Amino acid sequence: MARTLSILVLDDNAENADSLAELLALDDHKVQVAYSGQEAIDAYRATPFDLGFFDVMMPGKNGVDSFLEIRQGRPDAKVYFMTGYSADDLLKKAMAGGALGFFGKPMDLPRVLDVCQQAA
Amino acid sequence: MTIHRKIPASRITDIDALLQILDLLPTSIFVKDERLNFVFSNEAHCKVIGSGAEKLLGLSDADFYPREQAEKFMIADRSVLNSPEPQEFMELATSTDGSTIYSLTRKARVITSDGTTYLVGTNTNVTEMKRYEVELEAKEARYRALAETVPVGIWHLHEDGNTVYVNPFLLAILGMTESEFSATDPRDMLALSADKDVADMIGTASRFETDLMSRGRAVARTMIVSSGWLDNAGVSGRSVMVTFVDVTKISDLQTVNDQVTRLNQELSDNIKKLKATQEEMVKAGRMAQLGQLTATVAHELRNPLAAVRTSAFVLDRKIKGKGMGVEQQLQRIDNGVVRCDNIISQLLDFARTRPVQRKLLDLDNWLAKAIEEEAAKLPAVVTIECTLGLDGLVAAIDPERMSRSLINLISNASEALVGKGDTLSGGPDFVPKITINSWRTGRGIEISVADNGPGISAENLLKIKEPLFTTKSFGTGLGLPAVDKILEQHGGGLEIASKPGEGACFTAWFPIIETLEEAA
Repeated sequence: MARTLSILVLDDNAENADSLAELLALDDHKVQVAYSGQEAIDAYRATPFDLGFFDVMMPGKNGVDSFLEIRQGRPDAKVYFMTGYSADDLLKKAMAGGALGFFGKPMDLPRVLDVCQQAA
Repeated sequence: MTIHRKIPASRITDIDALLQILDLLPTSIFVKDERLNFVFSNEAHCKVIGSGAEKLLGLSDADFYPREQAEKFMIADRSVLNSPEPQEFMELATSTDGSTIYSLTRKARVITSDGTTYLVGTNTNVTEMKRYEVELEAKEARYRALAETVPVGIWHLHEDGNTVYVNPFLLAILGMTESEFSATDPRDMLALSADKDVADMIGTASRFETDLMSRGRAVARTMIVSSGWLDNAGVSGRSVMVTFVDVTKISDLQTVNDQVTRLNQELSDNIKKLKATQEEMVKAGRMAQLGQLTATVAHELRNPLAAVRTSAFVLDRKIKGKGMGVEQQLQRIDNGVVRCDNIISQLLDFARTRPVQRKLLDLDNWLAKAIEEEAAKLPAVVTIECTLGLDGLVAAIDPERMSRSLINLISNASEALVGKGDTLSGGPDFVPKITINSWRTGRGIEISVADNGPGISAENLLKIKEPLFTTKSFGTGLGLPAVDKILEQHGGGLEIASKPGEGACFTAWFPIIETLEEAA
């Protein structure tokens, strides 16, 4: 049995965030949900999550900028991005800032579960 | 025959016979004494004066001719009497009947053996000749005036090389005096090549255009017309009349005309380009707008789609093995999600204005993998035959977009053959087959996807690349336009060949870009 991970799911779309959190919880991971960039930053301050799934485009602080800010406090933060369409510049910025990769929405869920297994 | 004379009787016998002969001559003959009174006049002379000889003898010119004429004659006569040489005069003589003639008069002094001095004269009526001469002079004056005033260069050249005449206009073009002209080698003037003789050019009636040279410099473009050698009635050898028309301005005009024509053409081309650019801009503007709209819609749709898929996935996990029999329904949910996602992808591909994201790939490997993946999704009845001939060629393409293009072409072919898998388009012996080839040509890489399905009507073939055109009951009409767009973004295109009943062949082509630097 793989190790359970502490995971943060960040998405301003609550249905997305919640459904993904439910799925990850089915694999016994400890999942926390954030609906805004600032919430995610605050959450990371309290908890050193093993893995994060961040939406890119969000009102207020976007996912990538939030990630970069989190990496300042936690340089080893591991995050995959999720995006509805390729926002090239932001994704490049994320990859350059240390992101593990990205998923196009709607996500290939078996692959999502795979990357969690690999991280565990 | 009457002999009129006032000669001493002793001499009559000597010259009687002679005088009779003189009377017969058509030439007017007269003899005057030292006082210029007539002592002899033959018949012809009597006619000239208009008086009978009997009245004439002993009288002088003053008795018959107008005073002015008579005085002239007498001055001439005295001059003859004082000279041993015979003299010739052109005289105007008005006879007593009022008629005037031109007379060529020859007069000579004769001194007889006894020392008596006489004046002997003959008159030849040259009135006709004189008239011709006057006419000729008038004509020549007219022609000369014409030659000197027409704006055409005229050159009369004798075959011996001497200039007979050159008109002022030609001299003016050349900026020469007549003597300078005469000293100029005609070869230099006509800018003739060494192997050509002036006679070659003007020896036959001809017309040609050349530069007229003066002191080594072209002074005018001229149209030259030559009469060819004229025989001059065999009198004075041959000569040629050459005329020069200055066509410099006509040439200039032609040049200007050519320029105007060229400018007009350019203008018309530019207007066409401008129109095309305008249309392109409108299109680009619309595409940019569409791109923005599509991106927003894609984002907005994919989020709920993601939630639907994830929720269905969670449901599936939660009820797995509980025998609730909802797997099929859950699969339908996911198929719907996939389908929606594909439509969004097509819309994005069609409307996307952002540049392609190239990666270096072994194209045949990439093709094989993509075909294999897609083949697994096709109805089992469809066979795929593949001939990949790119031979390890590595090129930079956008793999995501190109894969979508390929998948689109393959799934289109499959649908043409068997619909969604349930409606076979041929009879019972029909073997639905998709043939995929890749090869290299002069313009780059070509990938064809052909099917042996029902083919496409000519009418539909024209519209097939138009966005929103579809023959499917279930299609966006954006598939092929998106493929076309993707190939366009790769610098290539999509070609479609089909005839109803003979299947269809879709050929994607794009130039080879071998490095990422080249792509950038």
